Amino acid sequence: MTRRGLAARAYRAALLLFPRDFRTRFGGDMYAFAAERMTLARRRGRAAYLRESISLAGDLIATATREWTSRAPSPITHVHLPALRPRDDMDILIRDIRFALRSLRRRPGFTLVASLTLALAIGANTAIFSVVNAVLIRPLPYHDADRLAMIWGTQGAQGGQGVVYADYLDWRTRNHTFSDMGVFRGQSVNLTGGETPERLIGNFVTASFFRVIGAKAYRGRLFTDAETEVATKAPVAVMSYECWQTRFGANPRTLGSTVVINGTPFTIVGITTPAMPVPVFTSDVHLPIGYYPNAHGFDRGTRGVWVLGRLKPGVTLDAARRDMAATAKQLAQEYPATNAGTGADVVSLKETLVGPERGRLLIMLGAVIIVLLIACANVANLQLARGASRARELSVRAAIGAGRGRIARQLLTENVVLSLIGGSAGLAAGAGLTKALVALIGPQLPVEPPAITLDTTVLAFTFAISIGTGVLFGVAPAWQASRVNLNDMLRSRTRGTSTLTRNTLAVVQLALSLALLASAGLLTRSLIALEHVDPGLDASHVLTAQFRLSAAKYDSPDKIWAMFDRTIHEIRAIPGVESAALVRASPFSQNGEAYSAFVEGKPTVKIGDAPQMLLNIVTPGYFSTMHIPLRTGRDVAETDRAGTLPVIVVNESFAKAMWPHEPALGKRVKVNGDEWLTVVGVVGDTKHFTLHEAQLFQGYVPHAQRPQVFTSIVARTRGDPLAVAKSVREAIWRVDRNQPVWRVQTMEQDISGVVESKKTMMWLTGLFAIVALLVATVGIYGVLSYTMSQRTHELGVRVALGADSGRVVAMVVGEGARLVGVAVGIGLVAAYVAARLLRGELFGVGASDVITFATVSLVLSGVAILACYIPAKRASRVDPMVALRAE
Amino acid sequence: MPRKLDPASQLPLTPVVLHILLALAGGERHGYAIAQEVEETTSGQVRMGPGTLYGSIQRMLAAALIEETPGRKRAADDDERRRYYRMTAFGRRVLELELERLAAVVRLARSRDLLRDPRTA
Repeated sequence: MTRRGLAARAYRAALLLFPRDFRTRFGGDMYAFAAERMTLARRRGRAAYLRESISLAGDLIATATREWTSRAPSPITHVHLPALRPRDDMDILIRDIRFALRSLRRRPGFTLVASLTLALAIGANTAIFSVVNAVLIRPLPYHDADRLAMIWGTQGAQGGQGVVYADYLDWRTRNHTFSDMGVFRGQSVNLTGGETPERLIGNFVTASFFRVIGAKAYRGRLFTDAETEVATKAPVAVMSYECWQTRFGANPRTLGSTVVINGTPFTIVGITTPAMPVPVFTSDVHLPIGYYPNAHGFDRGTRGVWVLGRLKPGVTLDAARRDMAATAKQLAQEYPATNAGTGADVVSLKETLVGPERGRLLIMLGAVIIVLLIACANVANLQLARGASRARELSVRAAIGAGRGRIARQLLTENVVLSLIGGSAGLAAGAGLTKALVALIGPQLPVEPPAITLDTTVLAFTFAISIGTGVLFGVAPAWQASRVNLNDMLRSRTRGTSTLTRNTLAVVQLALSLALLASAGLLTRSLIALEHVDPGLDASHVLTAQFRLSAAKYDSPDKIWAMFDRTIHEIRAIPGVESAALVRASPFSQNGEAYSAFVEGKPTVKIGDAPQMLLNIVTPGYFSTMHIPLRTGRDVAETDRAGTLPVIVVNESFAKAMWPHEPALGKRVKVNGDEWLTVVGVVGDTKHFTLHEAQLFQGYVPHAQRPQVFTSIVARTRGDPLAVAKSVREAIWRVDRNQPVWRVQTMEQDISGVVESKKTMMWLTGLFAIVALLVATVGIYGVLSYTMSQRTHELGVRVALGADSGRVVAMVVGEGARLVGVAVGIGLVAAYVAARLLRGELFGVGASDVITFATVSLVLSGVAILACYIPAKRASRVDPMVALRAE
Repeated sequence: MPRKLDPASQLPLTPVVLHILLALAGGERHGYAIAQEVEETTSGQVRMGPGTLYGSIQRMLAAALIEETPGRKRAADDDERRRYYRMTAFGRRVLELELERLAAVVRLARSRDLLRDPRTA
């Protein structure tokens, strides 16, 4: 089949409107029919194509409705043919649609305002839903993706930990619920041999990992099991198609060639298929797990790797969880020294990838749906106002024999037609908004931006909400119109539609706006609170960078430390750099590892219950560079070298928690190793991963005593930190020409990355809230204007009897204020419910924050009452003579 | 068809049903071909969309006016998913009755000078 355009896809999606049995039977033929018509029309030009599209859409809506309303009788039991009677529903529907189009054309102003309101609301919904669809609804791009699950290690109460490679081997042979398991772990690797050293994202895997995700080779082959065994590892590599294209120019001779990665020559044996998805991170090159540099020999006790498994068909996650827990328990009994307190947890891959985004996306979807509801209420009110002026037309139709149902149906059709016009414009707007949204939040999402498209599901959603809104805002006017009293209508001027319905709609709009405003307000306050969190360090004027030494080249602690020592001296010598230091995991870079800490003299606790300490490795001068205050004792010093007393600097929180009544200096702890570390200093607390985290226990050991191949640089500069970025790179290259450096950026950029997603959510919710407030304000303005125009006569009498204009204004505004008061009451309840749903995203502010609620209530009341003032002023200027004569 | 059906109970037919039966009088057709033929023979006056066509086909199948042809041999270039339909004997009887009814209407109109015979016009 050829690729068809958007229209054809929309048609296919719209077929979902038909009852299932009808669709299964005729859907394919109908689609082929429509496609053929479209192709023919396209050849006759744009106008013909447009006419054909409209005619097909009309046919579809008309007949879909009919298939639902008069489900065909079963051919065996039924011989009568009520549906074949003349004047069938479809003819009526088509006529109603024609009539609706004529009548909408007669009121271009109304049609424009209503369809624009709808287009905006539907467009915003389409955009947000396209993201929700791509992230939450669409299955992950793997074969049988719902059978993929991550198996995390647990330690005591802590979940989400890496896995010990030796445990993985046992899990794999002993479990009963997975058809296979594979290991993977990402780490940046150094590619050398080109003009400049380059950093690639490496993915260290077992051959089984490829089988689990269903990877295929585009050229060459994937790994064999023997090549990825730790004992028999072979220096082979599989490159991603994208890396091959961009870095190797798609050169066919790349396959079979040798590349030097982390100082080791690897033979490229295969290239994966284009756009092959890999869980968690995008990788450039896959290497055998045996070459993973951090694994410390893959012994028990080191949580080095991640495990992905494929469930056997029909096995539930719960069953797998029980099975793995039992397997881990067996191992804990067999290896009590290393595995005590160690367990396993199974989490679906989907949940692992999209779980953290779910709340945020659903909040945004909720916000746009509220905007849509407000738009519905608004258009319904516009319709009611129109309905009043059409009352005479309708009563004439009723007089010549149109039944009430028939009139209601005509009006409902008109509304659905209107909402479909709005929906089509909304779809166009949605396509644009989706692009803008992807540009805005794309980098924060766990899917590739190209995956966010207006696919069939999105089109069906947009179509459904268009029809749905049409019905929603059409019900009230249609119901009202069907109740017209013929006699009253024909004899006299109308007194108008029930004010109750119209007031209710205005109140609903205001109340929903208030809920949205309150949510936006709470999110804004959270963000402000977040930005006022004291991170415990001074991030301004700090440049950061990262690099990882090749473990093959720097194969002893002495070599690593010598390289670091020279580098830091080179960087300190750069003009513009005030001070600089090395730190393994720089704050807000999302690097950092926590380990169990054991305090000398305290009763031994089980591994799982030991306090967790974020252990960092620093050079002297780190604390002064970052402006982290030294509380007591000293910084790590140049004299703390390999062979001297192993020392540690801890943060205030740790010192207070462990030794509340005595000085911490001189005490000893064990962290990630067997040697006792003596506390020589206590420094201030700092935030490390996020601004809203609970304070972590932190420890710092000197690089010279525990050199590791990966480190970051922090440099405090006098001017713009980025001005010295190039010099920092060159300083490292002076020490080692083959050393790639990456993530050269300011620490402020790191911090803004941490709050970015919250900021986006706040802006979007705030934007929706403002749109909602505007629409709702226009709504209440409309209601009052209309009411006043209906009461011109009464006002004329009042003015004639001596009411001054101030009293008239007060009366009208008072009436508006009453509505606003009711709306605020209802709105506050709705806002409270909304805020409770938001709770997970709030920081530093309660879900029932009085200040926020009071502020937004005041803002809403102020704006709404201002909107009432205009019709009030107009009413006060009524000329009594004109008003009285009008009757 | 063993069922007892009264063709008269089906009358009058809607224009769409009438024209589908007229098209199928010429032999079996698939859906799109029916729509094309109707459009051509009526000079574009009766033009139906997919929903109208298959909605009618569904009801006509249910009323046993037409039936789907099983296991038809298709031309090589034909889309194998297409379903073909033909008129049943009952359908033919209904069509004849309807045409007689329409002819009677036309005769009545002529006798009252409401319609001129095209040949004498």
